[in-house]
Amino acid sequence: MSIMEYNGGAVVTMIGKNCVAIASDLRFGVQSATISTNNPKVFKINDRCFLGLSGLATDIETLYEKLVFRVNLYKLREERDISPRVFSNMVASTLYEKRFGPYFTEPVICGLEEVDGVLKPYISATDLIGAPVYTDDFLMTGPCNPALYGMCETMWRPNLEPDALFETVSQCLLSSLDRDAISGWGAMVYLITPENVTVKKLQGRQD
Amino acid sequence: MARRYDSRTTIFSPEGRLYQVEYAMEAISHAGTSCGILAVDGIVLAAEKKTISKLLEPGTSSEKMYKVDNHIACAVAGITADANILVNNARLQAQRYLYAYQEPIPVEQLVQQLCDLKQGYTQYGGLRPFGVSFLYAGWDDKYGYQLYQSDPSGNYGGWKATAIGANNQAAQSILRADYKPEISLKEAMNLAIKILSKTMDSTTLNSGKLEFAYL
Repeated sequence: MSIMEYNGGAVVTMIGKNCVAIASDLRFGVQSATISTNNPKVFKINDRCFLGLSGLATDIETLYEKLVFRVNLYKLREERDISPRVFSNMVASTLYEKRFGPYFTEPVICGLEEVDGVLKPYISATDLIGAPVYTDDFLMTGPCNPALYGMCETMWRPNLEPDALFETVSQCLLSSLDRDAISGWGAMVYLITPENVTVKKLQGRQD
Repeated sequence: MARRYDSRTTIFSPEGRLYQVEYAMEAISHAGTSCGILAVDGIVLAAEKKTISKLLEPGTSSEKMYKVDNHIACAVAGITADANILVNNARLQAQRYLYAYQEPIPVEQLVQQLCDLKQGYTQYGGLRPFGVSFLYAGWDDKYGYQLYQSDPSGNYGGWKATAIGANNQAAQSILRADYKPEISLKEAMNLAIKILSKTMDSTTLNSGKLEFAYL
């Protein structure tokens, strides 16, 4: 039994055409016992930046609160919202500070990054000690990883429009949740475009 | 006679005064006026900017008004460099409270913490006090809208309307006459402008010389 699989959970993020999506399951459990079915693992940092956290539930909560602390100070001092790329670095350094006694969570960051005046989709993820990875297709975290990798590699194509991206992310996540005993009980999907952010709650297999 | 007792912050004079603290307040009385007015539906902070020059880069950080957290703002009178340190400290305190209790810091708590810091510089360490007075405007769910004033000694008080900086006595006497407890936010803003126009040295009042904040 690994500490990262104690509470279960799945988070996935995907890049589309001028949009990003991030989704998580809703289960909170203690090994085989499900305690709550309303525990989303995606957090809004600002309108253009979202954070998904999987792993040990207590560390998810603490890491999120620590990051909010730092992001609030950033916003007060710099008088602007933090961008996803800068936030990624902040997450990575915050995790590395605890290099020899880490937070048992593996974050996924997604958002819209302003590059030369244009908003571009951005995703990144780190491991529990802050090693970052940047891709332009999809990233996932949690014990549901193997199933998610299979689904995403098969289903994802570049330049998916927002509606298609939403469908793809939702179906990948829901199917993967069925292959993992400790994740599931529905999902919450966030679709982020330059105009707005939509949130949808998905009903999956309730087991 | 005072000469012997004013070079160290941490000793009383024979008359029981702390000269360094009083000299700090003297520094503040030369700074741009800031006034605060508590209304029924909000709070207004208004301040006169002292550093005005054609050569000054516009749009960079404000000189008199600072946001401390989403529910607290403050106006400053005194040495700006000192104010920056204290405001940064206030911001950290507010975030620490939020991290620990997952709710916004009550306004008076924040004021107390800053004042405790300021008081430390009047009792030990041998460092000079901060040459800044603050007006804090904030809201919390226990006491609603609140306005506080603090000075270099670390004393603070809750006010319905008050002013700090140059000509603050003139401002306070106008406030005493014109302030009504049922004042609305809009009326308070007008009153704040009236106060500043009476207390400012310059003959012309224009938007480039004022900073406003309201809650």
